[in-house]
Order: sequence, then C-alpha cells, then structure tokens
Amino acid sequence: MRVSFAWLSEFIKTGLSVEKAAHLLTMCGLEVEALEAAQNDVIMEVNVTPNRADCLSILGVVRELSVLIGAPIVLPPAEITVKEVKTGPAEIKIEIRNEDLCRRYSGRVIRNVSIGPSPEWMARRLEDYGIRSINNIVDITNYVLIELGHPLHAFDLNTLKGGRIVVDTADNIYRHIKTLDGVERKLHESALVIADAEGPVALAGIMGGASTEVEESTTDIFLEAAWFEPVNIRKTAKALGLSSEAAYRFERGADMEIIPYALDRASYLMQELAGGRPQEAVDVFPWKKAMPRSIDVGAGRVSKLLGTDIQKEEIVRILERLGFAPRWNDSVITVFPPSYRQDVEGEADIVEEVARIYGYDKIPTTLPASRLSIQDAPTRRNFVKAARQSIRKSGYSEAVNFSFMNPQVLDQLFLPVNDLRRSAVSLINPLKQEESMLRTTLLPALMENLKHNQQRDIRNIMLAETSKVFIEGKEGELPGEHLMLSGISMLNKTYSFWRNGKDEFYTAKGAVEALLDEFRVCDRTFFGPCKEPFLHPGKSADVIVSGRRCGFVGILSPTVREKAEIKGKEEITVFELNLDIIFECLPQTPVYHPVPRFPAVERDIALVLDEAVSATEVISRIKDYPSKLIESAAVFDLYKGEGIPAGKKSMAFNVRYRAQDRTLTEEEVEQVHEGLIKDLLIHTGGSLR
Amino acid sequence: MGGQKNSFLRESFLNELGPVVSVPELEELRVRYLGKKGLLTAELKNLGGLPPDQRRTAGAALNETKEFIEHALGQRKQELKDLELSRKLASEGIDVTLPGSYVPPGRVHPVTQTLEEITDVFVSMGFSVEEGPEVELDYYNFEALNIPKEHPAREMQDTFYVSKDVVLRTHTSPVQVRVMQRKSPPLKFIAPGKVYRCDADISHTPMFHQIEGLMVGEDITFSNLKSVLETFLHRIFSPDVPVRFRPSYFPFTEPSAEVDIGCIFCKGTGCRTCKGSGWIEILGAGMVNPHVFEMVGYDPKQYSGFAFGMGIERITMLKFSIDDIRLFFENDIRFLGQF
Repeated sequence: MRVSFAWLSEFIKTGLSVEKAAHLLTMCGLEVEALEAAQNDVIMEVNVTPNRADCLSILGVVRELSVLIGAPIVLPPAEITVKEVKTGPAEIKIEIRNEDLCRRYSGRVIRNVSIGPSPEWMARRLEDYGIRSINNIVDITNYVLIELGHPLHAFDLNTLKGGRIVVDTADNIYRHIKTLDGVERKLHESALVIADAEGPVALAGIMGGASTEVEESTTDIFLEAAWFEPVNIRKTAKALGLSSEAAYRFERGADMEIIPYALDRASYLMQELAGGRPQEAVDVFPWKKAMPRSIDVGAGRVSKLLGTDIQKEEIVRILERLGFAPRWNDSVITVFPPSYRQDVEGEADIVEEVARIYGYDKIPTTLPASRLSIQDAPTRRNFVKAARQSIRKSGYSEAVNFSFMNPQVLDQLFLPVNDLRRSAVSLINPLKQEESMLRTTLLPALMENLKHNQQRDIRNIMLAETSKVFIEGKEGELPGEHLMLSGISMLNKTYSFWRNGKDEFYTAKGAVEALLDEFRVCDRTFFGPCKEPFLHPGKSADVIVSGRRCGFVGILSPTVREKAEIKGKEEITVFELNLDIIFECLPQTPVYHPVPRFPAVERDIALVLDEAVSATEVISRIKDYPSKLIESAAVFDLYKGEGIPAGKKSMAFNVRYRAQDRTLTEEEVEQVHEGLIKDLLIHTGGSLR
Repeated sequence: MGGQKNSFLRESFLNELGPVVSVPELEELRVRYLGKKGLLTAELKNLGGLPPDQRRTAGAALNETKEFIEHALGQRKQELKDLELSRKLASEGIDVTLPGSYVPPGRVHPVTQTLEEITDVFVSMGFSVEEGPEVELDYYNFEALNIPKEHPAREMQDTFYVSKDVVLRTHTSPVQVRVMQRKSPPLKFIAPGKVYRCDADISHTPMFHQIEGLMVGEDITFSNLKSVLETFLHRIFSPDVPVRFRPSYFPFTEPSAEVDIGCIFCKGTGCRTCKGSGWIEILGAGMVNPHVFEMVGYDPKQYSGFAFGMGIERITMLKFSIDDIRLFFENDIRFLGQF
C-alpha cells in the first residue's frame, strides 16, 4: 500500500525522519519496500501481509508507529451538524436478510450535495495513492477508505426505489447487475447484493451498480458503511474476476467498530466540501451482542517459546500499547484484542505480537540443545549424487529444464498409443499450450537444449539431466513420480586432436557403463535392437539391470531429427535411465573372495563370424563353457575389410584360465582351450582366422 | 722384463680403447686382448715356460693387468650403454604441449551445486534429508498448512492445478506435513526440491527450487531458529555477513520472520541489487503454527518447532553474481561451463 508520509504526520507527531519511520515499520512487520519522492511529500511503499487488514490505511500504519514510539494518535475531525431537511424521499429502511454475511449495516442520507471537482489537495492524495479523482462525493468515500481503511459507498438517493435497502444473497431472485464499470454481470446464488425495492443496486463490498451511481445531477445521496463477511466477498470477487479497493479490504477482514466514525468522517467531509446536509444515521448491528473476544496466555509461555527472558511487566506494557487491554495474575495474562485485530486468534499470535514489538533483533541466538536422534542413512541421496557425478565425469554437463512438456512431442517421438509415456498429467491452467503437460520423458527437453546450443554455433554438446517424470496414476491417486537420468550428445570431432573412428553409440554406452560400474552393478546387459521408435534400429539397445529394463541408449533416428529440425551431420546419441530401478537393483555389500594365489594363463582366439553375431553372444558362450578353469573372457579386437569376406567380421577374444589350488600346466590349458574353440566354432558358425 | 710387458699391454690397450664408440667395437677389443687368442691370454699361456719363481710374480702382474683391462672395458661398456639410451630417448621426444588424452568432465548445474552445498551445511548440523511428491494434494500444499480455500494467502502463490484437489506444489512446505504425519518428534530435517508457480516474467520462472526445513522438539525456541539460520547464512555467504530477522507472515508459522542478509555487493551502503536498502531478503521462517501441529496430531502444548524455506535460484544468483534467473533453464553450454 502506498502511504503518504505527510498525511500520516497529520495523525501523529513522530519527530522521526521518513527513513527512520520506514526502518521502524520494517522491523515490526510492515515492510517498507521503497520510498518515493512526491510533491512536498514522500510516499512509502508498504508491503502489508494478508493477515494485517488493519494496516491497509493511514490510520493502521499510524497505530503501528504509535505502539512503537508511544506517541498519541490525533484522529481527523468528524463533527457533523444534523439539520433535518423535509423534502425528498422518506428515510431509508434497512433490512439485513443474511446476518452472518452482513453483520453490521449503517447508512445516512446526505441532502443538498453539490457535485463538483474535489479540492486539489484531496485529488492529489488520491492520485498519489493510485486512485483517479472522479467527483467530490466519490472521492470522499475513497479518501476515507485510504485514511481509515473502511470502504464506503454512496448511492444517488433519488434512484433508490421504494426507500429501502435489502442486504441478501442473490439466490435466484437477483440474477443480473450492471456494475459501475458498465459491465452487465450474472450473479451466482451466494453473491451478496444490496437491493432496493425493485432489484440489486450494488454488489455488496465489491462495486456499486450503474443505476444508482452518483452523477453531475445528483443532489441527495445515501452513504453506506457496512461489514461484509470476507470469504463470501472473496468468492464473489473471484467468480466475477472483479477486484476493487473495497473488496481487497473486506476479503481480508474489515473493522466492525470503526463504522460509525468512518460514516461521520465521510459525512463531515461532504458537509465541508460539498455543502451536504447529513441526516440522522441508521445503524443495524445484529452482531453487536457478540462477546468481546478474550485470549489467555500462560505467563511463562512467551519467554519459553521465544527462548529469552522477557519480564512480565514488559509483556504487559507491549500489550497495553497494542490496545489489547491485558489483565493478569501470577499464571495467566488475559487479553482482549481490539476489533480491528481479527487476525489475533490464539496464544501464538500474542507471542508474535510481543516479539515483533519487543524486537526480533533483541532475541538472542542459542543453538538448540538437541538430543541425539537417529536419522535414516542418506543412501538414496548419495546414490543420486554419485550418479550425477559419474555422468559428469563422462563429459556431460548438467541441464535443468522445466517439468512441462508440449503434448506434440509424444507424436514427434512416434510413441505408440499404448506407450506409458502417453499417460501424461495435464494442467488445467498452463501458462501456454507448449507447457500444458508434465514430462513423461526428459528427452524432448534435451533435444531442445541441443538445438539452442547448436544455433549458437556450439560444436560439442553433451548434456544430461536428472529429474522426475510424471505418469498419470489411477483414479484418485497422485501420479507416479520417477527419477530419470537422461543424456544427449552431439560431437563434432573434426577439430578434436584425438578423434578416433569408433561409432558415436559407444560414447553414450560408455557413459552408462561407467555409471553402472560406479555402483558395481555387474548384472547388466545391453540388448539390441531396442524397440524405441525414435532410435536408430541398428544402433540402439535396451539397458537391462538384474533382469529389469531400466532404460535405453542409442542414436537418434534420422526421421526424429528431421521432425525436430535438428541440423548437422554428426550422429546424436541419447540415453535415458530410470534411477529408481537402478537404485532398487544396487548390489548388496560385497562378500570377499580370496585373491588368486596361482598364476593365470591367457589364450587368444580370433574368429571370423557373421556380422550379426554379437560380442556378448560369444562371451556368454565362453563363460557358459563347462570348465571351472575359465576365469574371464573379453573382446579385444574387431576387424572388417581386407582378408575378411563381405558380411563377415573378425573378432578377437582373450580368455584367462586359472585354478584356485595349483599352477596350471600347459597341457591342461591346451586341452580345455581346444575344446572351447571347437564349441565356439559349432555354436557361432564361425571359423578360426 | 715382465713389468715392461705389462705396461706395454696397458698402454696399447688404452690407446685402442680411446676411439671405441660402440658396443661391437668394444667387444672386438675385448677379444683382441682377453679372447682365446688374445694378447693377454697369449702372455698368460707363456707363463708355463717360465721358471717357477718368476712365474709367480709375472702371473700376478699379468692378472693385475687383466683386471685393469676388464674394469676399463666394463666402465666403457656402461658409458656406451648410457650414451646409446640417451640417444634413443632423445630421438623419441614428443611435443609435450599437445593436449592430454582424457574425457573433459562436464559441469554440475549451478543450482544443483548450491542445493547440495546448502544441504551439506544442514546435514552437518544433524538435519536429515526428506522428499515429497511434486504433484501434491491441495490438502498438503494448503489446507494442512493452515491455508484454507478462499484464504487471501493463496493469492501469494499462483497455483498450477491438475484437478480440483491436486496441484503442482507451490512450495516444499507440504513435505513438513507428510513427514510429521509419518514420524514422531523430535524431528530435524530439510526437504529440497522443485516447486511451481503459475508465473513467468523477467524475475519469475514457473518452476524453481526450494529447500524447506523443520525442527520439532520439546523445547525448540525462536532463539534456536535465529541461531540455526544465522549459522547457516554465515556458512553459505561469509562468517561476517550481517543477518537480520524481521516480522512477517506465513499462515503456517507464528511468529513468522523474513530473514535478510546485508547486501553482499554494496556491503550495506545501497545498490541496485538491494534496491538501495542495504539488505537482501534471503529466506522465510517462523515457529510452527499450533494449527499445523493439531492437523498432524502433535500436541502444541508439548511440542514446539521452527520451519524455514528458501529459494535456491535466488541464493545461486547472489553467490555467482548471475543477473537473470532465466539463464538457469536455457542450458547454454557456455553458461553451464562456468561453474
């Protein structure tokens, strides 16, 4: 809220500079965000938190300053002279039909007003606040709203039909109203309206109706000061998409007790500035008998919760200044918060009030004397952290993207209708259509990142993201959230000194293998071809860990690249892993096996094989060969070209033989090795090179 | 006579050894003197023809000469080997200024780095780390945190809705409620993660990161809250950065506080970043509102606690002097590579 320092100074003699006052207010909870110079004035931009409706006025801010510095408040004049004027319609009769939603309704007829422009000082104050000057009557209602925080409304008395005001919900009786802004509005059942004998004349607490608007020709007015229930006002304002200074205050809770003074203050200004003749006020106050609220606070409670020793006398002094009328005995302080402090409901509020006036800065800092409590081991956090580091060490920089997804990307990836990734969560109110779903795969965002970098002439791009994806849950259940790690790379090796000829596929596969190695996940297979429709069928594999599919790795298919409008010739590698699955498959604590005491013997085998035979097939055949002496086998060479027939390849394997209890003899090894070669030739259809 | 013979042998050997520059030449020289038909070998054979008394002295002298020659040969051999090796090594020289062969590591996103740094500080103070869903029930995101429907505080947070009762969490605070429902006090944890607000402009992105913290026990005070957060801020920024607590409002804490640090750019004199105030708002905090305890079945008379929450992007921007929040989500390699 914008608060004029000059206006404020009319209420209280602070003797403070505006900067000092701003600092005091900030440190008691009314943050002054900025000071703005105005004509002979400084405007304080005050951030009023939603609980402090009482501070949405000059008076409210003055009350806070008064509590802080102990200076008295001088209220602006409101003395009126009531002289009955007999002409015109009869007195207004007020009927409240819903006493829960309208707990007080006061009003007064003011006759013989002469409509005209407001005096300059008033117009300027309104403009400094941010309200346009309209005419003296409307301006006065707004002026008092800023000054005292209570919204008022002026009706043209001669347009009110039947001399009566009815306060009721719209139900099905009042269906439409044309508001002051000229908009015809349809009313929902629970909207609270002000009606005359014929129909609605105002949206209670939000905006007046066009039919009773104060205009040039107006001579008599009916001035309303009432209290409307916050939730109702908020619902109606929200439903109609309508906000106003009045609604803003009512929906945060207005002060029921200030109504007579606010009415008099506005009447006084109309009498002084518009020549108006105020008549006797009418005050319908069904909630008058509601007991004043009292709150008990344990005497030691304030100090205990704040962790500092504040003397009871000090607490009482603060509460008195706040107008909380404290009474106390040895064990309990009872307070009676004023009507404008509807936010103060319980003990904790009283503690807060004392603390903020006492000063947060005076409360000492003490580390908690906490008892030792046993925490869950941070296994998962460490796992995710290590996974992220592993992928980083393989060259990938970490990307972070929004969790949103364009529904179109699912088609761009050619995902079949029954693919789980089509079960995306949709937002009711997305910022834009391209962000209307939650991601079910991280890949599309990484492809966008790749394009972004490519367009900036970056040649070597390696990006990986660790984020959740969301899969629609069953009816009544929250979506499934899965932590994925996905990567993309596109490398231009032309200018790399160490470029080599290996297929780009292995860059991504190597990163995935390094990650699995990091956690000693040995039970893993790369099973190709992978069925993902967006991958190159010959250069892609499913990643299987402990028999469970946890993701894929491969080269992006040319069709998808084209659809995504990614330029360049270099192959794009991608992978996506479900970290939740890998986490579940992490191996147990290893059991120690004695390190071998006897030497190993190595033998190499070079086989000419059909191209379709994979290295893994040969190695698992070697491992399955029924001999306890085979310790391990690895591929170490791949050759195609001269000397090898077309459609064939030569692969070389290294086999290690070892016995646990003795040094092997040449003869023993030779015997097993020959058997192994025969077995391999039969089962792979290959020949020795 | 014998003495002359020996000195002649030594002299002629040394003369021949002088120009030897290769191992084969050296071998030839060895054969010429010490081989089966070598000069010295021949002399040794001649010893048999001498009378026994002369034989002993002549033999000793010849053996001495033999040892001398053998030693010189050995020495020269080592010299030649050394020379040969250094020649070989010299010829193998490479350009050591060429780049090394390694996989250049990528970088961790600055927001993640800050998130982990903050997490580590709280873990060092004994806090554990909890998680909660990002797609959350309205109940946990609002109602259980004392923000009923139609509450004006809902306006502070523009919410993405998935359905009437399901939202994208607008803060990490719902994790507080979920953990309190699951566990009994005492509690001490933080909950880092992504949060969402229906808002996008120069200084707001619809997704960002927060860390929430909660400590609940029998004697937890506002003074403890101040101490834990001050310690944290001193660790993350610098031990001498001023910290101030000022009253504020959050529906789920009471008393509530905003925590500011002295502007790290202008040291409190006022600049663009701190909008001239000398202070930068860094986190929100407060004592857990008794209503929140009641919602999860904790007795507010027995337990008290504090909660706090902070935006990670903001802290990251301050730490690395980043001036535009949107840079975090463009994933430009030239940006990421700097951290």
